[in-house]
Amino acid sequence: MSSAQETILELRQVTKRYQTRGNILGRGKKEVLALNRISLQVRAGEIFGLVGESGSGKTTAGRLIVGLEKPDEGGIFLNGQDIVGLQGKALRRYRRQVQMVFQDPYQSFNPQVSIMDSVGEPLLTQGVAKGVEREQMVLAALKEAGLSPAESYAFRFPHQLSGGQRQRVAIARAMILEPSLLVADEPTSMLDASYSAQIFDLLLGVRGRLGATVLFITHSLASARYLCDRVAVIYRGNLMEIGPAQEVIRNPRHPYTQALLDATPKFGRCEDIPRFNTLLRAERPAADSGVGCGFFRRCGLAQRARCSMEAPEFRAMGEGHLCACHYAEPGPAQADQGGECHLGA
Amino acid sequence: MNQQAAMDLRQARRSLWRERLAEDWRVFRRNPLGRIGLTLLIMFGLMAVCSYIPPMINPMYNPMTGVDPHIMASTGPSARHWLGTDFMGRDIFAQLLAGARVAFMVGVSAAFMAVVLGTALGMTAGYMGGLTDTLLMRAADMIMVMPTLLVVLMLAALFGQLNIWTIVLMIALFRWPGVSRVVRAQTLSLKQRPFIDAARVAGASHPRIIFRHIMPNVLPLAFLYMTFRVTSAIVIEAALAFLGFGDPGTVSWGMMLQWVWKTGHMFQAMYWLLPPGLCISLITLSFYMLGRAMDEVLDPRLRDETSAG
Repeated sequence: MSSAQETILELRQVTKRYQTRGNILGRGKKEVLALNRISLQVRAGEIFGLVGESGSGKTTAGRLIVGLEKPDEGGIFLNGQDIVGLQGKALRRYRRQVQMVFQDPYQSFNPQVSIMDSVGEPLLTQGVAKGVEREQMVLAALKEAGLSPAESYAFRFPHQLSGGQRQRVAIARAMILEPSLLVADEPTSMLDASYSAQIFDLLLGVRGRLGATVLFITHSLASARYLCDRVAVIYRGNLMEIGPAQEVIRNPRHPYTQALLDATPKFGRCEDIPRFNTLLRAERPAADSGVGCGFFRRCGLAQRARCSMEAPEFRAMGEGHLCACHYAEPGPAQADQGGECHLGA
Repeated sequence: MNQQAAMDLRQARRSLWRERLAEDWRVFRRNPLGRIGLTLLIMFGLMAVCSYIPPMINPMYNPMTGVDPHIMASTGPSARHWLGTDFMGRDIFAQLLAGARVAFMVGVSAAFMAVVLGTALGMTAGYMGGLTDTLLMRAADMIMVMPTLLVVLMLAALFGQLNIWTIVLMIALFRWPGVSRVVRAQTLSLKQRPFIDAARVAGASHPRIIFRHIMPNVLPLAFLYMTFRVTSAIVIEAALAFLGFGDPGTVSWGMMLQWVWKTGHMFQAMYWLLPPGLCISLITLSFYMLGRAMDEVLDPRLRDETSAG
């Protein structure tokens, strides 16, 4: 991917907070920072991976981008146009360009609505096509998604299909308007591994055939490596590292990315596999100031004096490779300490 | 050619629904409760339909006004009066048939109104949330804690004799909160489901989400509640009539029981006391059994594991 490509989606300093409900007097309310001043740019035509563990805010990012929720601060721009606060017609127009595939194929279809009507719904609400024309378009979309003969799938209810088939239907539904950006929120986390690969190939096909940009949200570095051109690693609402997928995964600079790589299942004996060992076994007490590095509590490399007091800035580690860590340095990563599988606190 | 393809699609769509209904019917039929309930209901339905026949045969079989000129007091079953006559020589069998008609009328219409009202208000409260939700649900709570029978009795005492439709309306007005609570809860949980998000991303408007995505998922539940509401409506009407606050112009089973009691035949004329009593019990039981069987159709978790396949 050349860096000369234009930016299709930009997140600028996006912050999203959630309030937990307190008791009747409003006591015990807690604020959860789902996204903390996230900025990133997705280029047209690429598959961009957003990688993080559960609760890291990656799904929130997806929901903000498709306009299901509003950020508390910051702006989201599609082709240079701010989409925060779009309503009514403008929002509907926006949704012709941005569609989403949801994580759980068992929950993302109305059980009372046939596949035909579910997939054809965007055509109807967007006023693109109706009647026979709509049905033909749905059948074509189902075929594109690898469901054939499409006629035999169209007139079924969601519960009559398998998870993998449903996720294909979900992709058909998302792509029927030919959006320029597809947000895929862990589309394979509920599927068997064999099905995952098929879904990945389908997403690659979507990009290749329609030239759509894909924002691929995942917890798995392995699938990000298979699918993505660039990845961003996110931890508890903070961006940690961003760069070309191959580069980030082969040569991770941030201790959190390194810990993620350590956590990826591998074959072989424990001692033989190089590990970074950057993850603390137990969490450290939080930084009092709340201004330090987001990964401070679990980072094996962190120094209290610096990491708990000063948020790290993004620094360039290589060609398009940025990392937010005080102690990251350009150069090859050192993943040679085998042996111990965990580092003590 | 294109025409042909469109026809095929329409046919496929239709067969999809047929299949679904057939599947539901299979589950329903497997349930013995459902079979018994349905059989009983068909029987009562036949009774209601047949209630028009006796007055046509002979005016003395008119349940309200027909009096056998040869009979001055209550008599037991005979060939002329299959279940006997009441104190003034009216045919009990004809009254029983007419009572079935009234029971269906009262039960189904009161339940239908209660369910329509409850579903509309419950969905509104659940979907809108906030102040609307609070106001509607507090109103529902207030109505729910009022003892229906007592309030209706008091109103009847205030306004004199009540018309049967007034009674139906009052039962409906006092019986919607239960439905609306359930519908609201269901709406709240549906609202959080990802397919609603999917519909929003697809560009669906609020009315479309409510009517296309939430309502079809709520309606089966509402219909289930309707069967239980029918039961309670029939019982309330019977109780009112028995206590002497029914519509004096209609022959309902509760009314028959009141006549038995008022004329001092309570334990002297079993042929008069038992039929309406049994009918009230059986019709409420059959609606209840129907509801239970429908419950199983609607909720796959209740289905018998061994026969699921």
